[in-house]
Amino acid sequence: MTLLEIKDLHAKIGDTEILHGINLTINRGEVHAIMGPNGSGKSTLSYVLSGREGYEVTGGDILLDGESVLEMEADERARAGMFLAFQYPVELPGVGGMTFLRAAVNARLREEGKDEVDQLAFVKLVRAKAKELGVSDDMLKRAVNVGFSGGEKKRYEILQMALLEPSLAVLDETDSGLDVDALRIVSEGVNALRGDQRGMLVITHYQRLLSHIVPDFVHILAHGKIIKSGDKSLALEVEENGYAGLIDAAE
Amino acid sequence: MLPNNLQQTAAVLAARDQFAATGLPGAKSEPWIYTRLQEVVVNPAQSAQAATSPEAGLILHFDNGLLVSGDVAWPAGMAMRVFTDADMADFAAYLPEDHLLGTLSVGHVTSAIVIEVEAGAQITELLTLRFTANVADQSAHPLIFIKQGAGSQCRIVEHHESHAALSAPLIVMDIGAEAVLDHAKMQADTDSTKHLSLTVMAVAEKADINSFTTAIGGQLARHETHMHLNGEHADVALSSIYMARGTQHQDMTTRMLHQVPNCTSSQLIRGVLDDTAKGVFQGKVVVARDAQKTDGQQMSRALLLSRQAEADAKPELEIYADDVVCSHGATVGELDETHLFYLKSRGIEADEARMMLIEAFLLDTLETVRLDELRASLTTAIQRWMTGV
Repeated sequence: MTLLEIKDLHAKIGDTEILHGINLTINRGEVHAIMGPNGSGKSTLSYVLSGREGYEVTGGDILLDGESVLEMEADERARAGMFLAFQYPVELPGVGGMTFLRAAVNARLREEGKDEVDQLAFVKLVRAKAKELGVSDDMLKRAVNVGFSGGEKKRYEILQMALLEPSLAVLDETDSGLDVDALRIVSEGVNALRGDQRGMLVITHYQRLLSHIVPDFVHILAHGKIIKSGDKSLALEVEENGYAGLIDAAE
Repeated sequence: MLPNNLQQTAAVLAARDQFAATGLPGAKSEPWIYTRLQEVVVNPAQSAQAATSPEAGLILHFDNGLLVSGDVAWPAGMAMRVFTDADMADFAAYLPEDHLLGTLSVGHVTSAIVIEVEAGAQITELLTLRFTANVADQSAHPLIFIKQGAGSQCRIVEHHESHAALSAPLIVMDIGAEAVLDHAKMQADTDSTKHLSLTVMAVAEKADINSFTTAIGGQLARHETHMHLNGEHADVALSSIYMARGTQHQDMTTRMLHQVPNCTSSQLIRGVLDDTAKGVFQGKVVVARDAQKTDGQQMSRALLLSRQAEADAKPELEIYADDVVCSHGATVGELDETHLFYLKSRGIEADEARMMLIEAFLLDTLETVRLDELRASLTTAIQRWMTGV
């Protein structure tokens, strides 16, 4: 069943068009990877999908469960089931971690017409999920992302994803800044969330993440367009030969 | 609560004459450069309307600037009396010379009381000074003189909820050696009220003072605080939060006078301004030539929620000693777009996200409050302000 449909998507920042017509369909249960060199538009795509201000869609459409999200604010898209794991998670001094997690989960529950979480039960749930992801109690007590290492920030992103249970998870360069052990923990966290009802879009520069989170489909993004699609072997091809050959062949 | 002749004492008459002669500050008056005083109604109220506060406890209630509390059950070591002529002269001596707010309220005094805390008395009960008014064309000028004996401890909160042309309280606190004072002021006057207050604290050696102001009311409010550090090893923490919207104007003006060595002072000021509101912070730290080893810190930050809001900051250091640690800073900014986006990307609605970030902005200042029982009500007041209730 179709979860996400990106149709001929054009987008610009300021006066510069970055995405020049992207087409991509993700069904529930599928994991897609988008690979591309720096400046190919990978992060722009993740921000356009999640509805960040300043990124203007100039053509095409984005459908989530068959409905266009273009008129929706970032928070509405999130409550509709979209989740972006940030390449650079944002530090929020003064915003307590538990307050933040509870606000996010409650926003989702209210949208679904459900009761807000029971405070004590929620703390228990968060602790249990945090433990699996190697997020310490101390991290949970601190302000959001403040004083976290690069690896801790990424684990905290996956913790949020585990709590929010999105239908579509977009992982933007989740491997950047991770050492081997952190990469394994984060990947295990992501893999645990794979399922029939969930789609994932894994955005990465390198193949190494994809040997941990094995995708069903791989797409190569260059100059704001998908120039080639294939299965996981395409990622290995990039690893072997780099992007240059693929880009030349496409042009 | 005035002896019949108090308004005719020399100090009062002199102040009234001087106020009449000087008038309101002109456009070029430096201390009032950011806060223009226009149409200030000086019409001292003659009578109170409210009855004694119904709440029990250690509460002094001023209505229209007149003390209306009946019998208060004073704890041992704390007592109140009305001014004598001598008190008036004594009180006036603490005020800065030729100061507009001093002459204004001494000259038009509506009520004047002395509260004395005996040396060594440990008063744990919170003393509430409650200021109300319901006279749109009159002004209130209560004078409060607090004398805190050496080694004593006391806790005082001011609640300002006036609806008047002008509420202009004048408070002098003489804080003895090794005394501990926890003080808070909550100013939530109605939005047609002007609030012009002057608070002077004279601080003796090893005294420990924690003072916190929350200002969310009034059409125009100036909170002027002068701290005179007169004894060594005194420690003063002076923090404030102001929040204004519509056409409100909030002014925090402080003078921290380090006269002697080895004192510490810190000031944290946070302002949140929406619509076309205006916020002013003028903070001057003066370190006298002999006041070596002074540690004087001051930091003001204002958050603008609207492009039409305005924050003016004038931090000043005037240092005559050469072995001191002093710093000051002032910033004006908006909510960070990346912070908002991060919260929204988790499904948190824009309004709630903004509130979370404003609360976070105020948090470190709020944490300096030492009166624990006030923390919850301060947080509630701030949240109510944010939701516009």
